[in-house]
Amino acid sequence: MKAPFAKFSPFQVDPDKIMETFGIEDGDFSKASDNEKESMVEMHKSISYWKDAWRRFRSNTVSMVALFVFLVCLFFAFIGPYLIPYNYADQYRTSQKLGPFEYSEDEQTARLAEGVGDGFFATALRPGSITALDPGEYYLKSGRTSYVFTLDTLTENVIIVLDKNSAEPLKLYTEDAVKKGAWDNYTVLPCTNTPSENAVRLTLTKKVFPHVFGTDSSGRDLMARTMYGARVSIIIGVVAALIVLVIGSLYGSISGLAGGPVDFVMMRIVELIYSIPEVLIVLLLQVVLKDPLQAWFQAHSETSAFVRAMSDLGAGIVSIFITFAVLYWVTMARIIRGQVLMLKKQEYVTAATALGASNGRIITKHLLPNCIGPLVITTCLQIPSAIFLESFLSFLGLGVSAPMASLGSLCSDALQTITLYPYRLVFPAIVLTIIVLTLNLVGDGLRDALDPRLKK
Amino acid sequence: MASYILKRVAGSILILLLIMVVTFFLMNAVPGSPFLTEKSTPEQIANANAKYGLDKPLYIQLWNYIRNYLKGDLGVSLKMQEGTPVKDIIFHQGKFLLSIKLGLYALLLAIIVGIPLGCLAAYFRGSWLDGALRVITTVGVAIPGFVLAALLLIAFSVKLNIFPTKSGNLPDFKSYVLPVVSLSSYYTCYIAKLMRTSMLDAINQDYIRTARAKGVKTGGIILKHALRNSLIPVITYLGPVTAGIITGSFVIESTFSIPGLGKYFVQCVTSRDYPVIMATTVVLSALVIVMMLVVDIVYKIVDPRITLTAKED
Repeated sequence: MKAPFAKFSPFQVDPDKIMETFGIEDGDFSKASDNEKESMVEMHKSISYWKDAWRRFRSNTVSMVALFVFLVCLFFAFIGPYLIPYNYADQYRTSQKLGPFEYSEDEQTARLAEGVGDGFFATALRPGSITALDPGEYYLKSGRTSYVFTLDTLTENVIIVLDKNSAEPLKLYTEDAVKKGAWDNYTVLPCTNTPSENAVRLTLTKKVFPHVFGTDSSGRDLMARTMYGARVSIIIGVVAALIVLVIGSLYGSISGLAGGPVDFVMMRIVELIYSIPEVLIVLLLQVVLKDPLQAWFQAHSETSAFVRAMSDLGAGIVSIFITFAVLYWVTMARIIRGQVLMLKKQEYVTAATALGASNGRIITKHLLPNCIGPLVITTCLQIPSAIFLESFLSFLGLGVSAPMASLGSLCSDALQTITLYPYRLVFPAIVLTIIVLTLNLVGDGLRDALDPRLKK
Repeated sequence: MASYILKRVAGSILILLLIMVVTFFLMNAVPGSPFLTEKSTPEQIANANAKYGLDKPLYIQLWNYIRNYLKGDLGVSLKMQEGTPVKDIIFHQGKFLLSIKLGLYALLLAIIVGIPLGCLAAYFRGSWLDGALRVITTVGVAIPGFVLAALLLIAFSVKLNIFPTKSGNLPDFKSYVLPVVSLSSYYTCYIAKLMRTSMLDAINQDYIRTARAKGVKTGGIILKHALRNSLIPVITYLGPVTAGIITGSFVIESTFSIPGLGKYFVQCVTSRDYPVIMATTVVLSALVIVMMLVVDIVYKIVDPRITLTAKED
């Protein structure tokens, strides 16, 4: 018995009629075999928007290299500080004003002793460096243990090596012997465990890590500071770009979707902000916001974790964010408005409106997701411009305050001693340039990948 | 055209007025008084406030500013050079002239070097010259002006001793070179990039093929047909360039120890010399706004296809 086909409308084709016309019997139908099924499987998997963009981005060698270098910079800024033993704020009194890969006297000694082995510590007694070294009895204090030993005369640089684990062997090497690795030429000094007020303090040094970028005038390691500064700069750039993203995209899409007088007024406001020479206002804002922000931090940092995080960043950086929130979103707003004006005439927006979707839903679910290309590109290119602005402000002494560092403030500090220590400027400047350069290149690559129509 | 210019001038004056209002309230939002020092007594501060009219309500102070500015009176300095008329500080002590000269030369350099470089890159596209220029311009827009300034300072003043480390009042040609180059480098590179793109666009247009078919020489095609049409994006960019060069001069002036307006502005912002802050902001903003206005009008002259009223959208 043939099952009758339900008929929905007068225009629907009648299957029975078709089968009759073409002389097809019910028995002519059979199940598709596996082979036949396979031939129906699509030949290519459909490529998603992001996969397609990634494919295009990957084929762009320059952008890929830039992305890689930028990732290296991220590693340098975020992981690097954990790999080196120096901190951005610690001042090493004995290691001031060192050039790249230079060591202070203490560090040189420690380096000589590096070959001695784990668990040993060393210090140097140099003729002239310690005036009290007349022949006689000396006490050495290492942690809780004190040693006493006798010296006849100190005519040579001497390395004293202490064994951390046992109090017993205290060995005295000549520097020459250490250099040659002639460990046998030591004198075992007689020592006791008597603590004494007069004990000479031994500086115990761990394995010495070189000051790759040198140190500044307060003895802070410049590589640690550059890493830290790069991190601060990148964070400022990203946060500022996100602020611009949120404000600019919402403003732009509201203006574009609303149209009419609302759009007119909103766009006049944008034009107004656009024609204000923003840096003059930024400078004023920086000075204006500093004290009120600090007062606000002090009042609320007990109660709110958000304020505490803000106060960790410092008033200078927070006022940079505020500046971006006030003045710098206009470009993003213009771009998104242009996109929305184009998109809002699409059928899916009409359909959503017809189904009763609110304007907010249309913006967040339909318009903004379709602006994803320009959103990503503009945000990515906003980061270097924020880094630029921050470094500019720090350079004028308005951004971050010491001991915090950003790449701009490092450059600014370096400028004061530029004739004597040019390398202090060179390293942060290079890192700053590389970060901005790679972000620009990645942004360009993203533009080509996400919005192929724009490619010229 | 005339009505457009009138409309734009009115708009510019409105923006300037708005900038005055914003600056005024920002200045007054800084807590404390400009006369507050470690030694000053409350009476002294009150006296000083009364002397300079800072004890009056804000809206009256603001109105006084606007009224005096319309009369061409920029007030007197409160702190930096107490009692000196601000007009003298800005215009007669050479600060304004110094900054203007520096900015103008930088702008000229950016245009004179940037445009030909862009044309060359476009014309020889794909060649080694194009590649080299692309690398230079890409790196050029990634180096902040003050970093370049400092690097040039190390190389040419400290090591090679060709140019002076302190440019001062820019007495001779040598003292100009480094500040102008470092101030204009970013914009030179940006203009070159912009020019290359728009020139490539123009070269591929039909009218170029027509001109070629008519037998116009290559040089003529580039100069007469392509250049004029590809200049438009560069001209629109000149407004922001002016603003950027003024901004950049702040750091360049302090790097090369040039006593210009930019450096002075930073100093008076930190010392809260209200009348000087206001005057400097207004003068510099006016400069930028006038430049934007000029750019828009030049824009119209260069490309008659642009209808100025449609530009509103």
